[in-house]
Amino acid sequence: MPPNRDALPHPTPFRVLFLAVLFGVIAYMAVVIVGLVAYPPLPALIESLTSPEILFAVELSLITSAISTTLCVTAAVPVAYALVRFSFPGKRIANTIFNIPLALPPLVAGVALLIFYGPSAFGQMLSRWGLDVVYTPLGIIVAQFFVNLPYMVRITRSAFEAINPRYEHVARTLGCTEWGAFRQVTLPLAKNGLIAGLVITWSKSIGEFGAVLMLAGATQMKTETLPIALFLNMSTGDLDLAIAAAVILIVISVVSLSVFEHYSGTREVF
Amino acid sequence: MLRIAGLSKHLGDFTLTDVNLTVAEREYFIILGPTGAGKTILLETIAGIYAPDAGTITLDGRDVTATDPKDRGVGMVYQDYMLFPHLTIEENIGFGLLQRGVEPARIQESVQEIAGLLGIDHLLGRTPGTLSGGEQQRAAISRALVLRPRILLLDEPLSALDTGTRDRFRKELKAVHRATGTTVVHITHHFEDVFALADRVAVMQDGKVVQVGTPDEVFRRPATEFVAAFTGMENVFYGVSRIQNGETVIDLGGISIRTATDVEGDVCLGIRPEEVIVSREPFESSAINAFPGTVTEVRQNGIFSRVVVETGVPFVAVLTRQSIARLDLAEGKEAYVTFKASAVHVFMR
Repeated sequence: MPPNRDALPHPTPFRVLFLAVLFGVIAYMAVVIVGLVAYPPLPALIESLTSPEILFAVELSLITSAISTTLCVTAAVPVAYALVRFSFPGKRIANTIFNIPLALPPLVAGVALLIFYGPSAFGQMLSRWGLDVVYTPLGIIVAQFFVNLPYMVRITRSAFEAINPRYEHVARTLGCTEWGAFRQVTLPLAKNGLIAGLVITWSKSIGEFGAVLMLAGATQMKTETLPIALFLNMSTGDLDLAIAAAVILIVISVVSLSVFEHYSGTREVF
Repeated sequence: MLRIAGLSKHLGDFTLTDVNLTVAEREYFIILGPTGAGKTILLETIAGIYAPDAGTITLDGRDVTATDPKDRGVGMVYQDYMLFPHLTIEENIGFGLLQRGVEPARIQESVQEIAGLLGIDHLLGRTPGTLSGGEQQRAAISRALVLRPRILLLDEPLSALDTGTRDRFRKELKAVHRATGTTVVHITHHFEDVFALADRVAVMQDGKVVQVGTPDEVFRRPATEFVAAFTGMENVFYGVSRIQNGETVIDLGGISIRTATDVEGDVCLGIRPEEVIVSREPFESSAINAFPGTVTEVRQNGIFSRVVVETGVPFVAVLTRQSIARLDLAEGKEAYVTFKASAVHVFMR
């Protein structure tokens, strides 16, 4: 039997060094994160977790992220499908446009949204109709949607890309309309990718800070999502509440990441 | 009847140029051509997946050029089957009937019937991923046939199968065609499929149809160099195969050829020119077929030369220039042709 190359009994200096760096970095990350969770005494942490301010932040975060994620999915499905299946002039540019926000700092997106919904003609018009986005909970949803849509589009796009268009061709010769083939064949086949995208988009929207801060502001008990709660309490020195918000955010990211990995395999997203 | 007139389509790297074809009712029509000749695009355009840039498609007298695929009455089977992985085999086969709003009991009945014909009725509860290639192919064909299409389009239905399965499946395709009477358009790059199945054949090259005719016409009188080179088997003969004392002998009229096949009856056989050995004297070898004859043609063709030896039937062999010089072969000289029983490819007709 040939020796197993991956077995440890014959460590080479090369392998030892690289593995040492790997485990060193993992230990560093674990200590930092666990240290934060373990910092406050447990009773104090529980008290902070159940404080009205944190409960408000949790509720606001859940509601806004649920709505913005729903909007992201609704927009991303047709966008991603069109990018994958149809040929149209400017397709390359369209693909690039959906990559820009990945590199753009959310703060910048937030400022752009603030101008658009604030002093611009469009913002003034909305305001006259009584639809105020700036410094309101509605602004949270708008900011989360804008920042996270590209991520959802990317994940959905790779889910559709993995489906051979011939499935749809066959479905259409078997009597389906374009809608029917999409609903009965494409969507079920893309299901895992869509679930993975939905979960990661939801998780990212709960954690969205920069764009939300710019557009919705940081008003206590009004536009105070979990990250905003963390920020506000940090700046007023209320460390226990800040850590409570951080702990919830850590739990949400760990859980959603494992759900994502379960459904997506090892699909590259970022 | 399918009539394609002046069909042109440009799609990515592929182009169809002025394709004209007529496929008769109940005909088994094969489109032969190398990979990249535009065969699949032609099928998909017939199915209505792509709209042609020019030309018309007529099915049973009705112009369907602009008709939606679902209303054409065309069944499509892809090389890689394209069974819906999220549905069972039964749901796959019943998919089209479900779209037509057929009641569940009737769907089940029809699915059972067609699955029985294709010999997969014991697999109906399984999902596609658990089936072998041959079983998936049968399921895909059942899914198309259950709708009783006016025309069945087969995209390389045999090339994903291993050799043994492929031979068996050819016979089944033939049997299914006989049993259902469906008009079939089958695309392939294997000339074996043509011998075994085709009533008529069209040869495609670079998006154009370069020859249409019966297999006999196309193989014996290739219209272009390309067809001759592509079809490859220049030694094509028709005869009657009989198994005597465990040995298969095919009577070609003038001579009898021994083969390793177990096919009896009317057959077509092909021998590749490079498998025919030419010698000046008979010699002892394991090759069982040896016939004396006369060289009737020596033609230089690149680094190889074609040599034709008339033995009662004409055999074409491919030799290097050196071999021709060494053997001193020339028109009118006597020569022997020798080839192994296993070099003879036999197809039932």
